[in-house]
Amino acid sequence: MAALNLFAFRAGTTALHRLDVRTKMVLVCMVSLAILAADFTGCLACFLVLYGLIRTIGISFIRLLAQLKWFILLLIIMLLTSSLTIPGTPVFSLSGVMVTQEGMARGALVAVRFFLVMMTGLLFSATTRPTALKSAAQWFLRPIPLVPEKRVAIMISLFLRFLPLILDQAQQTSDAVNARCGNLHKNPVRRIRCLTLPVMKKTFMAADNLCLAMDARCFTEDRTDPAFEKGGKERVFLAAGGGLCLGMVWQAKVSFWMTFWS
Amino acid sequence: MIHPILEIDHLTHTFPSGGGIQDICFCVFPKEFILLAGPNGSGKTTLIRHFNALALPTSGEVRLHGIPVTADKVAARKTVGMVFQDADTQIVGDTVFDEVAFGPQNLKLPLSLIEKNVTRTLERLCLAHLKDRHPATLSGGEKRRLAIAGILVMDPEIIVLDEPFANLDYTSSKDLINTICRLNQDGRTIIMAAHEVEEVIVFATRMIIMDSRGCLAKDGHPVDLLGHLEAHGIKEPCFSRMGYKAPPWQR
Ligand SMILES: Nc1ncnc2c1ncn2[C@@H]1O[C@H](COP(=O)(O)OP(=O)(O)OP(=O)(O)O)[C@@H](O)[C@H]1O
Ligand SMILES: [Mg+2]
Repeated sequence: MAALNLFAFRAGTTALHRLDVRTKMVLVCMVSLAILAADFTGCLACFLVLYGLIRTIGISFIRLLAQLKWFILLLIIMLLTSSLTIPGTPVFSLSGVMVTQEGMARGALVAVRFFLVMMTGLLFSATTRPTALKSAAQWFLRPIPLVPEKRVAIMISLFLRFLPLILDQAQQTSDAVNARCGNLHKNPVRRIRCLTLPVMKKTFMAADNLCLAMDARCFTEDRTDPAFEKGGKERVFLAAGGGLCLGMVWQAKVSFWMTFWS
Repeated sequence: MIHPILEIDHLTHTFPSGGGIQDICFCVFPKEFILLAGPNGSGKTTLIRHFNALALPTSGEVRLHGIPVTADKVAARKTVGMVFQDADTQIVGDTVFDEVAFGPQNLKLPLSLIEKNVTRTLERLCLAHLKDRHPATLSGGEKRRLAIAGILVMDPEIIVLDEPFANLDYTSSKDLINTICRLNQDGRTIIMAAHEVEEVIVFATRMIIMDSRGCLAKDGHPVDLLGHLEAHGIKEPCFSRMGYKAPPWQR
C-alpha cells in the first residue's frame, strides 16, 4: 500500500483530536486567511501557536522538516526568484544579477506564509479521521439545494480509498513493464500506452469488485447519518483562534499604517 | 423433516466468452459446513455469486427459505454474507471500525446500536485493538478476519467464503479455520469455495465438487469422497494419499 506519511491521520486523544471537525474546518479557514493577511510579527506568533499544537500531537520539528523537505526546497526557490526579480535596494550583485532587499523581504514573507498554511493543514489532517471529514462535508453541503450530499460523501470516501490503490497499481505495472525491459522503448507514446492501459484496466476491475462487495453488504444511499464527536472545548478553541487571527490582522494593519505615515 | 435454507434449482450461467456453470442442483441445510471444491475456472465464484443475487442466472433459480433471491435482494444479502476472494478490493472503510460499520449503516440502524454491534463483533474476532487502524495496513490474516467481521455484524445465517486461505501463512490459516469452525458451531451455515482442501476437509460436513466444465461432479460426505479427488483435479489430502483415515482428533 502507498506509504502513509506525515499528513495521514494519527489516532490520539489530544484536545485537537476531540474537537468537532466542523469547528476545526472553520478554524483552518480563519487561520489560513489571517496568515495571508499577516506580516512577520503575526506570522511568528502564529508559528509559535501552531508549533506548540504540533508538539502536542507528537511530531518533532526535525521530522516535520524532514517530511516537508521537497516543499521547503520549493519555498527556497520561490525566495530566490523573488529576491532576484523584484526591483529595489540592492544588497549585493553578482555579475549583473542583483539581489534586492525588497525582493528578499517579499519572498521570505510569502515563503513563511506558505509554510504556516502547510502547518495548519498538517495539524488538521493529522488529527481528523477521514470519516469525520466526510461527515463534515456532508453536513456543510446539506443546506445547499440540488446537491445530493450523501452521494458526495460516499464519493469522497471512495476517492480517498481508491487513490492509493491506483498509485500502487501504477507502481506495480511500471515495475512489471520495466522487468521485461519496457523502459528500453524510446517512443514515449508507446511507453505511456504500455503503462496507462493496464493501470486503467486494473483500476476498473478493482472498482467492479468493490461495487460487488458494496452491493453484497446492502449498499444504499439512504444510510445512517454520521455522528459528530464533541469534545466540549469548541467555544474555547473558536474564541482563542478568532483572537489570534484578529490580533494578526490588526497588527499587520497597524504596522502598515505606521510605515505609511512615517 | 428439516427445510433447506437455500435451494439451487437447475442453475445455469453462461458467459458470452464461454465458461460458466451448467445445470447445478443442490440444497443447503442449516448448520452445514459445505466445502465447494474444484480446479481454477470451474465456476465456484460464479456459482456462489448467485446465492445473494450478485449475479443473475441465465436459467434456473436460487431460493432462500422458499423465496427467489431476486425477489428481495436486501434480505438475501443480509441472510447470505459473502467474503470475497480478493481481500483488498472488498474493503470500503477508512478504519477497521468504519469498515465493520458499513453494513449496519446501510441497513439504517441507529448509531448506538451500530456502535454496540460493531464493538461486539470486533471483540469476537480479536480485532478490537486494531479498531483505529487503516485496513490497508493490516496483515493478510487480519484483513480476512476483518472481511468476516464486516459481514458477521449483519448477523447472516449463511457465510460464504471464496478461497479464504489464499495468500495466508500456516498460523493465519489455522486462526482462520478456528474462527470459521467457531462460527459453524454457533449455528451458522458455512459454504467455502476452495481448490486446496487439505486444511479444511476434516471440518467440513459435506463436500461438493465442481468439474472443469462447470458441472456438479460429486456431492457427499468428505470421507466418502476421499480417494476420488485427484480424478476431478483436486489435490488429495496427505493423510488420504498415505492410506490413513481422517485424523479423529481434528474432527
Ligand atoms: N466476467 C466474466 N466474463 C467472462 N467469463 C468469465 C467471467 N467471470 C468468469 N468467467 C469464466 O467463467 C469460468 C468460471 O470462472 P470462476 O471465476 O467462477 O471460476 P473459479 O472456480 O472461481 O476459479 P478460481 O479457482 O480461479 O477462483 C471461467 O472459465 C472464467 O473464464
Ligand atoms: Mg474463484
